[in-house]
Amino acid sequence: MTNHMCTGPAPGAGMSRRQVLNRFGMGLGGIALANLINPSPLAASAASPGAQQGGLLGGRLHHPAKARRVIYLFMAGGPSQMETFDYKPLLRERNGEQLPDSVRQGQRLTGMSGNQSSLPLAGSQFGFGRHGQNGTWVSDLLPHTAQIVDKLCIVRSLFTEAINHDPAITFLQTGSQIAGRPSVGSWVHYGLGTDNQDLPAFVVLITPGKVDQPLYARLWGSGFLPAEHQGVQFRSGRDAVLYLNNPDGVTRESRRLLLDRLRDLHAHAAEALGDSEVDARIAQYEMSYRMQSSVPGVMDVSDETPETFALYGEDARTPGTFAANCLLARRLAERGVKFIQLYHQGWDQHDNLPRDIQRQCRETDQASAALVTDLDRRGMLDDTLVVWGGEFGRTGYSQGRLTATNYGRDHHPRCFTIWMAGGGVKAGLVHGATDDFSYNIAEGGVHVHDFHATLLHLLGVDHERLVHLYQGRRFRLTDVHGKVVEALLA
Amino acid sequence: MIPAGRSLVVALACCTLACAAAARLAGQVRAVPVDRVDFNTQIRPLLSDRCFRCHGPDAAKRKGELRLDVRAEALKDLGDGWAVVKPHDPVRSELVRRIFSDLDDDLMPPPDSHLSLSASEKDLLTTWVAQGAEYKSHWSLVPVAAAPVPSVGHRRTSLNPIDAFVRARLAREGIEPAPRASPEALIRRLAFNLTGLPPTPAEIDAFAADPSPKAYSRVVERYLASGAYGERMAVDWLDLARYADTYGYQADVERDMSPYRDWVVRAFNDNLPYDQFLTWQLAGDLLPGATRDQRIATAFNRLHRQTNEGGSIEEEFRTEYVADRVNTFGTAMLGLTLECARCHDHKFDPITQRDYFSLFAFFNNIDESGLYSHFTNATPTPALLLWPSHEESQHRGLTKRIASLEARLQAIAPSARAAFRTWHPGASLTPPVPVAHLSFDAVSGDTTPDLVSHVRVRLQDGPVLIRVNSQNPTPNSQDLTVNSQGPTPNSHMNAGSGSGLREGNGALQFSGDNSVVHPGVRSFGRTDPFSLALRLKPTEKQERAVLVHQSRAWTDAGSRGFELTLHEGRPFFGLIHFWPGNAIAVRAREPLPLGQWSRLVATYDGSSRASGLRMYLNGRPLETEVVRDHLYKDITYTREAGERSQARQPLTVAARFRDSGFKNGLIDDLQVFDTRLTEAEIAGTLGSDAGHEAAFEHFLARYHEESRSLLGELRALRAEENGLVGAVPEIMVMEEMPDPRPAHLLARGSYDAPGDVVPRDTPASLPPFPRGAPRDRLGLARWLTSRQNPLTARVVVNRIWRMHFGRGIVASQEDFGGQGKLPTHPELLDWLTERFVREGWDVKGLHRMIVASETFQQSSQASPETLRRDPENALLARGSKTRLQAEQIRDSALAAAGLLNRAIGGPSVKPYQPPGLWEQSGTGKTYTQDTGDKLYRRSLYTFWRRTSPPPSMTTFDALSREVCTARRDATATPLQSLVLLNDPQFVEAARVLAQGLVQRFPQDPAARSHEAFRALIGRSPDVTEGAILARHYAEQQELYGADPANASRLLRVGEAPADDSLPTAEVAATTAVASLIMNFDEFIVLR
Repeated sequence: MTNHMCTGPAPGAGMSRRQVLNRFGMGLGGIALANLINPSPLAASAASPGAQQGGLLGGRLHHPAKARRVIYLFMAGGPSQMETFDYKPLLRERNGEQLPDSVRQGQRLTGMSGNQSSLPLAGSQFGFGRHGQNGTWVSDLLPHTAQIVDKLCIVRSLFTEAINHDPAITFLQTGSQIAGRPSVGSWVHYGLGTDNQDLPAFVVLITPGKVDQPLYARLWGSGFLPAEHQGVQFRSGRDAVLYLNNPDGVTRESRRLLLDRLRDLHAHAAEALGDSEVDARIAQYEMSYRMQSSVPGVMDVSDETPETFALYGEDARTPGTFAANCLLARRLAERGVKFIQLYHQGWDQHDNLPRDIQRQCRETDQASAALVTDLDRRGMLDDTLVVWGGEFGRTGYSQGRLTATNYGRDHHPRCFTIWMAGGGVKAGLVHGATDDFSYNIAEGGVHVHDFHATLLHLLGVDHERLVHLYQGRRFRLTDVHGKVVEALLA
Repeated sequence: MIPAGRSLVVALACCTLACAAAARLAGQVRAVPVDRVDFNTQIRPLLSDRCFRCHGPDAAKRKGELRLDVRAEALKDLGDGWAVVKPHDPVRSELVRRIFSDLDDDLMPPPDSHLSLSASEKDLLTTWVAQGAEYKSHWSLVPVAAAPVPSVGHRRTSLNPIDAFVRARLAREGIEPAPRASPEALIRRLAFNLTGLPPTPAEIDAFAADPSPKAYSRVVERYLASGAYGERMAVDWLDLARYADTYGYQADVERDMSPYRDWVVRAFNDNLPYDQFLTWQLAGDLLPGATRDQRIATAFNRLHRQTNEGGSIEEEFRTEYVADRVNTFGTAMLGLTLECARCHDHKFDPITQRDYFSLFAFFNNIDESGLYSHFTNATPTPALLLWPSHEESQHRGLTKRIASLEARLQAIAPSARAAFRTWHPGASLTPPVPVAHLSFDAVSGDTTPDLVSHVRVRLQDGPVLIRVNSQNPTPNSQDLTVNSQGPTPNSHMNAGSGSGLREGNGALQFSGDNSVVHPGVRSFGRTDPFSLALRLKPTEKQERAVLVHQSRAWTDAGSRGFELTLHEGRPFFGLIHFWPGNAIAVRAREPLPLGQWSRLVATYDGSSRASGLRMYLNGRPLETEVVRDHLYKDITYTREAGERSQARQPLTVAARFRDSGFKNGLIDDLQVFDTRLTEAEIAGTLGSDAGHEAAFEHFLARYHEESRSLLGELRALRAEENGLVGAVPEIMVMEEMPDPRPAHLLARGSYDAPGDVVPRDTPASLPPFPRGAPRDRLGLARWLTSRQNPLTARVVVNRIWRMHFGRGIVASQEDFGGQGKLPTHPELLDWLTERFVREGWDVKGLHRMIVASETFQQSSQASPETLRRDPENALLARGSKTRLQAEQIRDSALAAAGLLNRAIGGPSVKPYQPPGLWEQSGTGKTYTQDTGDKLYRRSLYTFWRRTSPPPSMTTFDALSREVCTARRDATATPLQSLVLLNDPQFVEAARVLAQGLVQRFPQDPAARSHEAFRALIGRSPDVTEGAILARHYAEQQELYGADPANASRLLRVGEAPADDSLPTAEVAATTAVASLIMNFDEFIVLR
């Protein structure tokens, strides 16, 4: 029998490839059989909430899912928790005093502020107010987010291991600081397959034109999983998906005719060779043809109402903006895309933090909140998990000179804030706390592995059982760590 | 021993059941009719996969002090007649009881491991115990033994041994091998497998037309002799070597390693014996009289990713680099997953964490930095200069002339003694005039004057002016802060002004973050003699403290420039192109006193040698140690130093970008000289006499005409040499440091948790290190390629086998360990391996052997029955079917169109790529597409940016090359269809192919379609296919005939010129035909 942990191809499981394809239909990249069928009865017990197709689990989840899809708003560069969600009046009171050794506890600093002769505490220059039913502290920089705070599950006590961007963002997006592991979205695609036959299951959206900490293909790459599980980037502009458009001089009619003849060739070859993979080739080409209309269809927001644009902000009319990408994320979610990964760069504020963070918040606050509100209005928030956050936090002391009007903050892996909404997390919750310096976690620490375990749990997946055998080892998103943070679950 | 086929139930039923557990067990253990169970093929995989995680080689995580990978341990007595494993007695074997237990906290494997055993697996283990619980060594760790070639009964005896092994197995299974493939299929298979390119229609015709048996081997020899062979072989090796054109982390800056790639191509084409191929890469630098190629080959160990991200901790990343070398060595050369043992003992294979770091010790001994330079484009050290041949001889001539001038300078010194005796030493006390002098006696606003140039020099972030009690510079003297307006009015200059080394009564106190920045001092290069003199008073013990430098940054610039710093209080003077491997530096043996004023002078003679660096404390030479003595490129930020632009660094005091500044210390009276001050001058300034020899040296430097003129000549020659070497490219290579850097066992594999020092050694579970071999990488290479090593040759033979059959004899070519797949034909693997080694690791010979077999030449067509029985073709009853690699798909289109540029080697090229990808990653880098011939190079030469690899390639499963990877998958996705349909590279190829066909067959569309099919697929279309192509042509012709504008647009895709004299609709319709065929399954699948 086939061990359910192993993902080796299992073509001998009683179905021909053709049968498999007929039965399960074709997801994007649905041709690799190992991912279409799961012959083991051990793998899953709970029923899938719907017509989920393909994936290692074959639609049979480890337990009932709360979330059917994820929209992850990644704030690349590491937003300061002290200017957003982690209110620290003490830093203001003791502005300019040295970070006490008793707080730092000899923890390492980066080479950027590590050689500073002093580490002066820097209080936030921005006001905080209490919002929502529980009077949750939110920065004045995030007025829209403040309004929906009752819908959010805020985790003030996330922590990570890496102190530089590349390892840290790679860790948060793949569960390892070292390149070569699959991204979160790839794991989800690999495990759960797709809900949509005409669009990729894992879509990546980036706000263009932000020169800051770079983004790398590995962040949405499939690592050692088959390449079909890598994220597909949707871009504003002519080719929303790379190579989507017909070449100059090739009309849709001409393309259709070509695909018809291609189908003839493949049908003839399949007959002659008896090779069902040739059949699969037909399906592959048909889906690429459907994508040529489904992708522009989802990108075309002309059918959205003025109310929607008012909600997301007028920026949403400009393709590529964060607001437009949030709106697009909702449209992709509506069409059953399983994992939608947004990136917004520009949070790496080593100096000029007061000026830069205002800009960043202006660019993201309204649309992030609008996305949650919009999903809620449409009844989609219940089964859509929205995540907002970066790869680490920032220091309570100033990097560079602290002046009356300016300061900067260095990388800080010991604690940072993210929020989640919908998809089975507890609304109106603030989980965990940091010390008065926002330097160490005071209670309820959530490690990156725990966050990943929880995310998979919400999708109906046991993080210890979604595994891939590679080089003789069972790899998981959470390596050999991670525990589901029960306190966050609704 | 239980005879095959007999039931175990008899044996079990006969047992006296002594306890309840045994009784229950006996009830559960079912009758299992079995052959003799084989430990290696049946039991070890089970134990390894389900048990070793807690009961395997990893001592730290071992549960219940039980290990099952060692027989003696597994047989451990538990008392009362029980053992964990009791041979021949499953009923009293705890292992058997536990796997059948129905109690959750008793069951093995435990439920929370999410591992389980199936009923048949439990039975298998039981039977194994009943049969005596025999253990065997893991197959891949057993030495290679030449298995006898089986005789296959009725078959003729002249069978290729490969066929004998394969057929013997097929005969056992009762399966008939497939017939020979068609000539068209065969030559296509040969062409792609041996050259990565399709055969031309002419080659196909010639081969199909020649029935002689020699025709086949002639084709094989032609392909093996072609340059394209090495290129094809290189692609797979470069995946393992993680070869790319950029560093890989974060900003992912470009770095040219193409000389290494070209060496790989050359090595394969020259059929360099494979043991040499590995040895050169591992240790070419250590071979006696190492050649340039042997050194370039060692770049293999430097292809790992590197970072320049600001604030990174140098040692953390240096450790990563060394670890990456070890991991790559393991995967690429041994087929082992060594990396599993970095943090703990290996879970499945007999590799301990100590073994891991014993290997680590071979790879950590190069003079490298964990960070490459952000502010310069220095090549991280150690590096090899890649001299263009004509310049190299010129350079040799120059260095010879420099050496002889230096010798002459030495030689004439004695003859100057006579003149020296008549010389009046009084004059020696007039030191040269400084080029800059900051007395720090006056501050106005945030500036202080340079007393020489009268330039106002900037005080950055407010160093504080202090009034100095200069009359009594003792530890207890009080230095008083004065107001920021400047010194008190009655301050006076000390005597001796004009001497160049004087004392005022003001000094600057620094915080560690602030500095003085003097932009008006010229940039000193490595051929310029210069000197620095200052008074300073450190007050705190600091690990590092910056005093004076001309440099952009510390690690962020690879320390480029000169620097005078304190290390643990000890003065350090260095000239650096890239720290640590391209630099000279000396450090004082003793620290400066704290809380006291010291006068420090540093001089440099322009020689690029550590011996040319001297330091003096209070007029006396400081005893120093040489820290580095290998500077061969300039220390400036100019073209002379190999930079693309000219930039000058200001002279800066007390702080440096991201370095540790001079904290709470005072500096006074800084002077800069554009000459090397002599010892006599330095002593003389303080009114003391440095002695007779110092005076003589001073005389030579300042007064002796012949010496002075020789020095001038020397300086000019050195500048010439510097100008020549600056622009010469370098490549990162391996080069041992003279004193091995100790390697520590790192707890959890972490750079900041060093434990015991471990010596260089190989894993204890593998054959011993060869006696007498040096304990370095060369010795390691000898161990790797020795006949005793059971892995190396098997791994490569398996990999080459896979190139021809799509899967290895060991399907997990990336893992030959206990968790890997077992060989389908172990005796064949050993026979091939033994022969491969015996014939001198002859790679081309191995190809010849394989492709000569009938097994290779079988048709890939199979009956439904064979497909059902062996869907993976593990038994090799038919020819292979493989999806072409990304490179082969693109190259194939270019070749068919006649566009392929077959030039071999050189820097990487940038073909078509959708715009905006690099820009969007946020590095601010732009992809500038190449034009002309460079668009049509083989894909091997496509520029590989690790964080944003070319999407048309990764869509077809090419790897990002961030880490060593031993396998590519072959997926099928709609995105691949989009590439083949719409990527300009393929559209252009289709239209260029079409254009040529319209030229050849102006009146015959059917002939065009036929030839296009042959060019792209390698065979003629059958009748049905011909009809489909004809219909397609007619449909497209009609569309384009009605819309000539669209036809013209299509014929403008790509840069290749269109032949406007041809009828556009016909060319466009033929293009559509070519495009159709390029999207046909057979274009990308080799059958």
